[in-house]
Amino acid sequence: MSYLDFLRLAIPETIVVVAALAVLGVDLVVLRGVETRLRLLIGTMISCVGCLGGVAWLLAFPQTGNFMHGMLVANPLTRIVMIALLLLTIATLLLSLETRFTPHIGEFFALVLLGTVGMLFLVSTEDILMIFVSLELTSLSLYILTAFDKSSVKSSEAALKYFLFGGMAAAFTLFGLSLLYGIAHSTNLGQIAQAIAQKATHASAGAGASHLTLDPVLILAIVLTVAGFGFKLATVPFHLWAPDAYQGAPIPSAALIASGSKLAGFFILAKVMFLGFAGAEGTVAWRAFLPGWVPLLAVIAAASMVLGNLAALVQGSVRRLIAYSAIAHSGYMLIALLSHQVEAMAPLLYYVMTYGLTTLGAFGVVGVVQERAGGDRLADFAGLGRSAPLLSFCMLIFMLSLAGIPPLAGFFGKFYLFSFALSAPGSGLGLLWLVSLAIGMSAVSLYYYLQVLKQIYVVPTAASGTSVKTPVSTQTVLVLLALAVLVLGCVPGLVLIPILSALRL
Amino acid sequence: MSVIVHYLWLIPVLPLLAAGLSALAKQRQRVFAASLAIGSMALSLLLSCWAFGLTLSQSGAGHLYRQVVNFRWFQIGDTWVKLGWMLDPLAAVMLVMVSLVGLLIFIYSVGYMRDDENFTRFFCFLSLFGAAMLGLVISNSLLLLFICWELVGLTSYLLIGFWYHKPAAAAAAKKAFMTTRIGDLAFLLGMVWLYSATGTLLFYDSGKGCLETDALINLVTQSTSLGIAASTGISLLIFCGAIGKSGQVPLHVWLPDAMEGPTPVSALIHAATMVAAGVFLIARVYPLMAPLPGGPLGSGAALKVVTWVGAITAFFAATIAVAQSDIKRILAYSTVSQLGYMMLGLGVGGVAVGMFHLITHAFFKSLLFLGAGSVIHGCHEEQDIRCLGGLRKYMPITFATYAVGTLALCGFPLLFSGFWSKDDILHSARVWNGSHWPFYLGVAGALLTAFYMTRQVYYVFFGSCRLALGQTTASEQRTVEHAGLPARRHPHDELPPGPRESGRVMAVPLILLASFSILLGFLGTPAWPWFQGFLTGSRPVLAFGSLLEPAILGTMALSTLMVFLGIALGYWFYGRRALAGAQAPDPLEHVQADIFVLLRRKYYVDEAYNWAVVGLNAWCAKASDWLDQHIWSGLVQALVFVVTGLSWLNRFVDEVLFNRGFDGGCGGLTQGGSLMSKLQGGRVQRYLRLAGIGVVLLVLLLVWGCRAS
Repeated sequence: MSYLDFLRLAIPETIVVVAALAVLGVDLVVLRGVETRLRLLIGTMISCVGCLGGVAWLLAFPQTGNFMHGMLVANPLTRIVMIALLLLTIATLLLSLETRFTPHIGEFFALVLLGTVGMLFLVSTEDILMIFVSLELTSLSLYILTAFDKSSVKSSEAALKYFLFGGMAAAFTLFGLSLLYGIAHSTNLGQIAQAIAQKATHASAGAGASHLTLDPVLILAIVLTVAGFGFKLATVPFHLWAPDAYQGAPIPSAALIASGSKLAGFFILAKVMFLGFAGAEGTVAWRAFLPGWVPLLAVIAAASMVLGNLAALVQGSVRRLIAYSAIAHSGYMLIALLSHQVEAMAPLLYYVMTYGLTTLGAFGVVGVVQERAGGDRLADFAGLGRSAPLLSFCMLIFMLSLAGIPPLAGFFGKFYLFSFALSAPGSGLGLLWLVSLAIGMSAVSLYYYLQVLKQIYVVPTAASGTSVKTPVSTQTVLVLLALAVLVLGCVPGLVLIPILSALRL
Repeated sequence: MSVIVHYLWLIPVLPLLAAGLSALAKQRQRVFAASLAIGSMALSLLLSCWAFGLTLSQSGAGHLYRQVVNFRWFQIGDTWVKLGWMLDPLAAVMLVMVSLVGLLIFIYSVGYMRDDENFTRFFCFLSLFGAAMLGLVISNSLLLLFICWELVGLTSYLLIGFWYHKPAAAAAAKKAFMTTRIGDLAFLLGMVWLYSATGTLLFYDSGKGCLETDALINLVTQSTSLGIAASTGISLLIFCGAIGKSGQVPLHVWLPDAMEGPTPVSALIHAATMVAAGVFLIARVYPLMAPLPGGPLGSGAALKVVTWVGAITAFFAATIAVAQSDIKRILAYSTVSQLGYMMLGLGVGGVAVGMFHLITHAFFKSLLFLGAGSVIHGCHEEQDIRCLGGLRKYMPITFATYAVGTLALCGFPLLFSGFWSKDDILHSARVWNGSHWPFYLGVAGALLTAFYMTRQVYYVFFGSCRLALGQTTASEQRTVEHAGLPARRHPHDELPPGPRESGRVMAVPLILLASFSILLGFLGTPAWPWFQGFLTGSRPVLAFGSLLEPAILGTMALSTLMVFLGIALGYWFYGRRALAGAQAPDPLEHVQADIFVLLRRKYYVDEAYNWAVVGLNAWCAKASDWLDQHIWSGLVQALVFVVTGLSWLNRFVDEVLFNRGFDGGCGGLTQGGSLMSKLQGGRVQRYLRLAGIGVVLLVLLLVWGCRAS
């Protein structure tokens, strides 16, 4: 096992890093005095080429390997997630083609790409140290990206909140991970799981009981680790940064936080839980409660769904509305993990990927409207259906997909996820209460999604404000995203079949 | 397989296209519609002749030329429903006959319908009829045949009721449609039975068709709960369809009424082609009727029924024809009678015998109808033979051709086609081993035929003209009133008031048909039975000696005697002295008044049907109405009250309980939302504190969980 192997496994990440350096270099050295539009165009091009190169490499040279006991892992599943991440990043980049919030274009793109590199590494590791490092790489890039709109106070404020919150979450994570290391004397997830299982058998042997008793240290380790990821995924009670960040950050940054970062976060959370805490699940089945990470996540999921959906009801700002809806969606997604089956990856990944597409599109539309009307209040959307029919139609698809209306991807994602949670082997109908809550909360969520659509289609525009044309590139990306949401909803097999076959390997 | 077999479908499709196009044409595009119809029919005739020639060249001694093309129509489960067309001598003969007669009548119609404002529509319907009839003839599937069968029924309905403003025409159209539907229902049942028994409706399908040996053996050996073979049951049901369409007793009542349609329609549909479709159908499914020599007992029962029905119809209708006074009605009853002869021929002698009479009859009967049309047209729409008379002088061509038709219909010896074909039937009936009665009935019918035709000719063409000239006839008056024709289009304004000969466009078809009426007979004489040989696939031999065989000679002598006797009787009653006037009673009435009235009223069949069928129907309708008003209506009212009460209750529950509850719930949710967003104070210190509290709470939760469990 040499470092050459490592490099070989890490070529996609390397390509993206090279692209990040290239975009930075080109922008700083060659394009200093050139007008912003061109710089944006070239920056976007280089970044997209980098991401596409990564995708192409992943598609052309599929590899499987495990470098240094899970330090870097490549298998079909990671490959799919990495491709999805890169594609989401490309969409984000294309959405930023028409933004004008910063003159520091090279830095912006480099940071987006570095954040993506962090996510890619996060996806392809099974080592807690690596997890922490890549988590931090991602987070730090996102903090800066949130603050990138220097002219806006809100952007800076949001970034600071995000950063402070993230710092504390990182501290929690690190503490949790170091406790884990203390338990297992290893940073590898598999070995950690073995150690936990050993401890558990000792404990249950000592207690003489059939059920699982958890070591207090392990409890602390679980809670703290979950807290760290919970911050990343904006779940209650670690969600408090999200509404401010979603509202304050520049549109591309917010879109990246909402889509790519979420995908990577959920994937690694699932991995850590399934692999690392394999012996400490516990159960939340009705009247058969056993402590472990499953009840923990169940509580968090329930709280996220309730709080996210209820708070979204009263939001006046569409971005905050999307933020709260994101919190609620994180709650739904956590349900998939509760079955603690590896097969749960399929509904989870389908849900997160299509959710990423949808929310990216929604942010794209919000960005255009913000350019147009100067704000993201609900009232700013009034009359959009008349003045920008195509854009409004895209928003219709995104909102309905988020609400889970057939035949859009959001519907199938919810349906598949809930039915999986109910039918997962072993759980029986134990998750029925949680799924019922989720479905009830989805019904509540329809209200605020329709509020947006009502503004767009029903409420007449207050004043014939400045009409800004939707940029062609943005429009194209949005139409493509809407199309993807529609097609994936009708033909979910396009995504699910590769995931399922990767899981089977 | 020849090209024409593959393109045989063109023959019905060309008129169909013409019908479609002229349906789109405007009312005044007369030339367009007429030339489309005539042109497409002429092309069909050419193709038919080609197909006929091919069949002729291919059929030789001992084998029957038959080519089929089948195609898939749609799928039910695993089975495909197939349709197809075929070319065999039967189809070829019918193709040529239908397209030739059709073409001549189309041409004639140009003259006859000249003054009608719905000229375009008329030709559209005619073309549609031609398409359906030609499709019926070539179809190789009982299903396709049935579809075309219904289509000709539809066009018949449309054309009988073409002058729908005349109440009699509308009623006649309705009667024709409904009466034939009764037969068609049985036909449909037979078809369903056949399909369930054999799994196919194709006639010939290289061994798998329902008229081929395997299926026939299967059908003959299956017996039903009625004690008859399945083949017999199916045949009888199909024959019911033929009874309806071909106007056999007891479903003959619609055909005379159908004469309310324009005369070309009567000639084409109700004399030459459509009504003969029933005969054709029986000829087509003949293997089913008379399966397998030496089959089990009773398998020929269907043919016995055909024979008897045919014989009875032949005689029965001929007696009615004797006492009618409407020129077209006489011909209509004559048609019914002749169709009976065809059925009789099919029953006793086989396909060739019946079909020969069908073909010859098609020509001379359409000739007679067209001649009658010419008379009607030339005499201001007058149809009552008592009011006509002496037309020989005014309309010489019409008279000459009409005389030819009459002699052919009577079966005047040697020279005319009707003689040979009728003689063939009578001969077969005579040697039939079932019973002698069909033969006697046939001979009596021949006598009556000669008599009533002589009567008609004397009424119409001899004596003096009894037309009430200078004043509008009753039927003309009706036509004018209902059509609302402008006064200047009235024939009286432009033309001399007396009877006049029809124009060339009407005369030429008459002459052509007359020549066919004479010549066709020589194709099927006992000396040279070419036609019979062609249909059965054997080579005819020219043998004048067979004319002199005692059996044949005897029949010929007998039928000749009958014809002469009939004509002589006709002369005795009507020819000796001129009729006194239009109002004078019929000479027959002097002899036997009661019987004459009975015949004149058509044995009161219509009245009986009216009393029985229509009366029963009306009684049922009344009973249903009473039930509706007094019983069902009460029930419905009660139901309405219940439903109204329930909806009141529902509304109460909805408004008071649910709406308030739901509103309250929604309010609660929104309040909850506001409460939740209060957490979001905007101060980061508080956020962090909350997150910390959250961690602690979660840890406590798990610890408590450990304790508790």
